[in-house]
Amino acid sequence: MKEIVLDRILPCVFAGREDISGDIWHQKVVLERGRVFLVEAASGTGKSSLCGFLMGYRRDYEGSILYDGRDVRTFRTDEWVEMRRSHLSLLFQELRLFPELTAMENVEIKNQLTHHKTKQRIREWFDALGLADKMDARVGQMSFGQQQRVAMIRALVQPFDFLMADEPVSHLDERNADAMRDIMMEEVRRQGAGVVITSIGRRMDLCYDQTFCL
Amino acid sequence: MRLLWKLLRRHVSPAQLGGFFAANLLGMLIVLLSFQFYRDVRPLFGREDGFLKADYLILSKRISATGLWGETSGFSAQEIDDLQRQPFCRRVGAFTASQYRVSCSLGLQGIASFGTEMFFESVPDDFVDVDLSRWTFNESDPMVPIILPRSYLAIYNFGFAQSQSLPKLSEGVVGMIDLGIQLRGAGREERLKGRVIGFSSRLNTILVPENFIRWSNERFAPGSDNTPSRLIVEVGNPADDAIVSYMDEHGYELEDDKLDAGRTTYFLRIVAGIVMAVGLLISLLSFYILMLSIYLLVQKNAQKLHNLLLIGYSPARVARPYQLLTIGANALVLIMALAGLCILRHYYMERLWAMFPQMPDGSLWPSVVLGLALFAVVVMVNVVVVYRRVMKIWNS
Repeated sequence: MKEIVLDRILPCVFAGREDISGDIWHQKVVLERGRVFLVEAASGTGKSSLCGFLMGYRRDYEGSILYDGRDVRTFRTDEWVEMRRSHLSLLFQELRLFPELTAMENVEIKNQLTHHKTKQRIREWFDALGLADKMDARVGQMSFGQQQRVAMIRALVQPFDFLMADEPVSHLDERNADAMRDIMMEEVRRQGAGVVITSIGRRMDLCYDQTFCL
Repeated sequence: MRLLWKLLRRHVSPAQLGGFFAANLLGMLIVLLSFQFYRDVRPLFGREDGFLKADYLILSKRISATGLWGETSGFSAQEIDDLQRQPFCRRVGAFTASQYRVSCSLGLQGIASFGTEMFFESVPDDFVDVDLSRWTFNESDPMVPIILPRSYLAIYNFGFAQSQSLPKLSEGVVGMIDLGIQLRGAGREERLKGRVIGFSSRLNTILVPENFIRWSNERFAPGSDNTPSRLIVEVGNPADDAIVSYMDEHGYELEDDKLDAGRTTYFLRIVAGIVMAVGLLISLLSFYILMLSIYLLVQKNAQKLHNLLLIGYSPARVARPYQLLTIGANALVLIMALAGLCILRHYYMERLWAMFPQMPDGSLWPSVVLGLALFAVVVMVNVVVVYRRVMKIWNS
């Protein structure tokens, strides 16, 4: 997938409101592969909704989202499965990890599906993110910041054309945020993918090609 | 799959699963056992006579009080035609009775021991299931083959012989005895030899080949009225209700036990049907328990399932552990039910064999096929329902 076009989309809950402004809602936005985008927003402006629309698990919006010119509303179930497995990766704001599994198992459950990374490579990432000793700990017993890093590793063990990260560093200190950025950007460059980062305040320290305000 | 199962087995309730398991095992066992028992026992009610072909009935007119004063008790050609046209009727044959006097004497090695007046009847040869080369009469070598009712032998053995201090006769011995047959009529008298070639427990007459009756009636009672007073009817299903109502309507009587056997089979079928229905009901309820627990399980794990779908798992793959769980549970139930069936069948067949040594050793395969068919239906419904629940989560 080369580009994502947001063609005058608006969450249904905002329909009829006069005070809609910003760079995305009701606008035509083109996100190209290989570029880095930042979506800045205040809380409650629909940032996570946007992620839901792009991942296909929410359909309550007006307008159209086009992947390489094709309206995503026409996607069949198996096409969405393929999209989530091989073209789009999302680090959820709420992480969506499985608390009863260990950190490693949370990553493996995705990697078993994609067979994208070796166990060795995953260990290296755990190590780089300061989680070497947490690999076998249950995620439910980890702090949110640690879970955020596990979720990032999980987001990286798949092929993708676009990587979306919904407030990826909200609970990380600067050192861990930089470490996360480094491994993320290394994988993004390796895959030649586009990146969409959202932020409500603290942002990942990156060289953004374009910034949108919601 | 291991991780997926580790994740999704949470909230699997052993109590619910155990409840399903016990109930389904019971239901399946009842269904299979009633089916197998019906199949095993059925031959006892539909036993072949050995001399007459499959499903036949013997029909006569009811003898009413007025009949005593000369009303005909024979069947007219029109009545036979009408019977022939009935849907339950395959073939109709008339009994032809001897129209002359017959006496018969029993003797061993030519020494007559006792004699009696009697009669002969015949039915068309194709109703008689014996080798036709034995079942024929030849004028040039006059030996009359005879089939006797088995009850006659019993009357002789247990009534007459005992009281007269005469030897009891087995069927084999009777077959070796020469019968002296004396035919009288139309001013003639002839002696022939007869030989009992078999006994019938169904046929209440002294049966001789059709060509013998034709020959002897022409010879000893020419021009006599040959209106048949009894008919032999081959039917498709002796338990058919239409038969009974037709007979009642026309004032006919069914003479032998075939209809009773048919009715018994019919009742056996009803009883087996009821038991099977109860088994099916239990199975259905247990299946319902299973479905409910799977529903509950899917519902309790809905968030996890949703997350799996969001990270790229397909609905089919997410549904698979639950589908395999139900398939596994149902397969185990089937295997245990079949094992239970084998044990119980062994137990009741031993008893039945003790009572009916001639009972055929039926096959277990039809029950296995039935069990597999039930299993397939249950598994298919399960697989579809689980998938649809997962799709509901996908669309939520």
